[in-house]
Amino acid sequence: MSTAGVARRDLLKYSAAAGLVGALPRRALGAEKITFAAWAAAVDQVKAHITAFEKETGITVEYTNAPWAQYRETMVTKLAANAPIDIMWVSDAWLAEWVEAGWLQPIDGFKELTRYNEDAKPFATESLIYKGRQYGLTYYAGFMGFLYNEEMYRKAGIAAPPQTWDEVTEHALKVKKAGLAEYPVMLSLTNETWLIEFLSAMVYSHGGRFVDDKQNATMHLPKGGALAPLKWIVDAVNTHKIVSPAAVTTSELTGLKAVASGAHAITLLSENRLRMLNDPKQSQVAGKIKLALMPKGPDGSNATVAWTRFYGLTKHGAGDPKRAAAAAKFIEWFGGKAKGEYKFQKIMYTDLFAGFVVKPLFNDAELKNAVKEYADLTIVGKQFDLAKKKDVMTPWFGEWNETNGKLWQSAILKKDTPEGALKKSADEWTKLKKQHVG
Amino acid sequence: MLAPIAAVLSLVVVFPILYSLYTSFFSLKLTRPHRVPFVGFDNYLEVVGSDLFWVSVVRTATFTVIAVSAITLLALLAALLLNETFRGRRFLAAMLLVPWAIPTVANGLMWKWIYDENFGALNGLLRQLGVIDRYLVWLGDPAKTLALVANAYVWRAVPLATILLLVTMKSIPDVLYRAAKVDGAGVVQRFFHVTLPSLRPGLVMVLVFETMLAIRHFDLFFILTSGGPGDASHVAAWHVYVETFRNLSFGTGSALAYMMALATFAIAWVVIQMLGRRV
Repeated sequence: MSTAGVARRDLLKYSAAAGLVGALPRRALGAEKITFAAWAAAVDQVKAHITAFEKETGITVEYTNAPWAQYRETMVTKLAANAPIDIMWVSDAWLAEWVEAGWLQPIDGFKELTRYNEDAKPFATESLIYKGRQYGLTYYAGFMGFLYNEEMYRKAGIAAPPQTWDEVTEHALKVKKAGLAEYPVMLSLTNETWLIEFLSAMVYSHGGRFVDDKQNATMHLPKGGALAPLKWIVDAVNTHKIVSPAAVTTSELTGLKAVASGAHAITLLSENRLRMLNDPKQSQVAGKIKLALMPKGPDGSNATVAWTRFYGLTKHGAGDPKRAAAAAKFIEWFGGKAKGEYKFQKIMYTDLFAGFVVKPLFNDAELKNAVKEYADLTIVGKQFDLAKKKDVMTPWFGEWNETNGKLWQSAILKKDTPEGALKKSADEWTKLKKQHVG
Repeated sequence: MLAPIAAVLSLVVVFPILYSLYTSFFSLKLTRPHRVPFVGFDNYLEVVGSDLFWVSVVRTATFTVIAVSAITLLALLAALLLNETFRGRRFLAAMLLVPWAIPTVANGLMWKWIYDENFGALNGLLRQLGVIDRYLVWLGDPAKTLALVANAYVWRAVPLATILLLVTMKSIPDVLYRAAKVDGAGVVQRFFHVTLPSLRPGLVMVLVFETMLAIRHFDLFFILTSGGPGDASHVAAWHVYVETFRNLSFGTGSALAYMMALATFAIAWVVIQMLGRRV
């Protein structure tokens, strides 16, 4: 498939379609029926917003959802079988893979959609771009946050959250010595979809990368790779004993519950978990969990990893100009503004604490007030500004990720050295890259 | 009369089996739908050339040996007990069936809770008994992982094996025991010279059946360990799952599944040849 060829054709087609949206009488566009596939999240909010969309535009939406755990497999099977899906939720982790398969189509021909880039946090738009083309608008975004239990900190005589990873060790040892937690730091390192987010946050804050801009493996390099953060984890588990060896079988959800039970003082979790952790109905440490900027490694910064889930336009959706125009309207209604305001983003944040990337909303008094018991929106915004997208998002990411997770676990369990594990991970990356791009 | 059934069976059984064999000769990756080249036996060669495949073979063999030995031994002891007449035998027999009645997934979740390092029942029990002074890591310790998964597997598999052996035991003619007694054979001698030889058909059935199930077992690995930590529980069935449904490589996944099926049949054949000659 010639990407350049398609790009030119698409641009013409979408420009025509975009013009058509304005030119068509509302009833003509309203005759359209589009299908929207999503994972089973925020179902009530989505349905309500679809109803409002249908009422406003006259476009009928057929909405289906599948559980998140099986979503990728379900969608891949459907898309490979040319199922008639027009718009879908997509994770940034699958962007390259789905574009290369021809299932996602660029949306940068729709100026009414790309104009929202001005309002979005830079990492979010970057996460939607592959080979120079933009493939959607953000549905929700999050970042890996550094969370700590303020009360445990106070009891251990620690005045402020750590600035560096060395201070994290120091603080954890103090908490441990004070008898407040056997393993003060909770890391969820089981081999699941969350793992790459945890590892990327550690790597970025240490100033490292898994791969460079040309997608060559750098993870194994002594400087600028992933060695320093992996060594920190290995030492935390085996030398300082501030992280439980059970971390390798701890899922994000299990870890979250453990933090909510008050068993740990420090953790890395998605920032949107602050709501659950600070909710007295769900957590024994409600009101005590605070977000701080990600600590720095010796050569690092306060950077962390952020992710986006977005509205993507499918090949089927883009296949017909009228349908494409209707799909673009839908994407704008959800991922951009609805009736002149960022309605859905606000609903998602106030109802579900699902993060947004729209800069103006970080100063929204209504939103700040709605979440003040759970989080400080100013720090959330600041950490978002320092966030980077995952550098490993390639068509071979899924395969490499499986092996990489195992190798990190092997090093943590001392079945391999950090250097050896990262060398193997880099070799696997190089092998897969060769298979995909020659 | 049988034609419709044969047609349905061909459609839902024969066709998928043959189609997966066909698939195993192509580089079929679902995320690369436009390029599906014929690769002959390359998928098979790729599989055997992978270090992780051989790790999975070793893990599967270890799990199978632990599980099948334990199931056979425990089922034999349980069958011997239930073959005796004593008060409460029926109740005990009914209770024995409970693990078998529990769905596999529920069994997995139950054991996950039991083994949990933070709040698991096993740590709680051992601590209350004074065996340990602090909570231990169970599934997260690669030295224990396979044995612990095997334990959960054995717990559920023993009842069926017990029934199979008990049925065989019940069919042993009483006259053999009476004759042995007349010849002066004690309990142990009667077991080794009458019960065990007569149990051969049941034992072969249990060994073959349980070996085939253990080699292909997936559910508990999915629920308890996800093949980890590291590659500590990366068994063959997990390898097939990862290759097929996570990596979406249907070509190599089919090749792996075929190799696993052939290996299972080969092992079953060897067991039957070794133990079942006089069955």
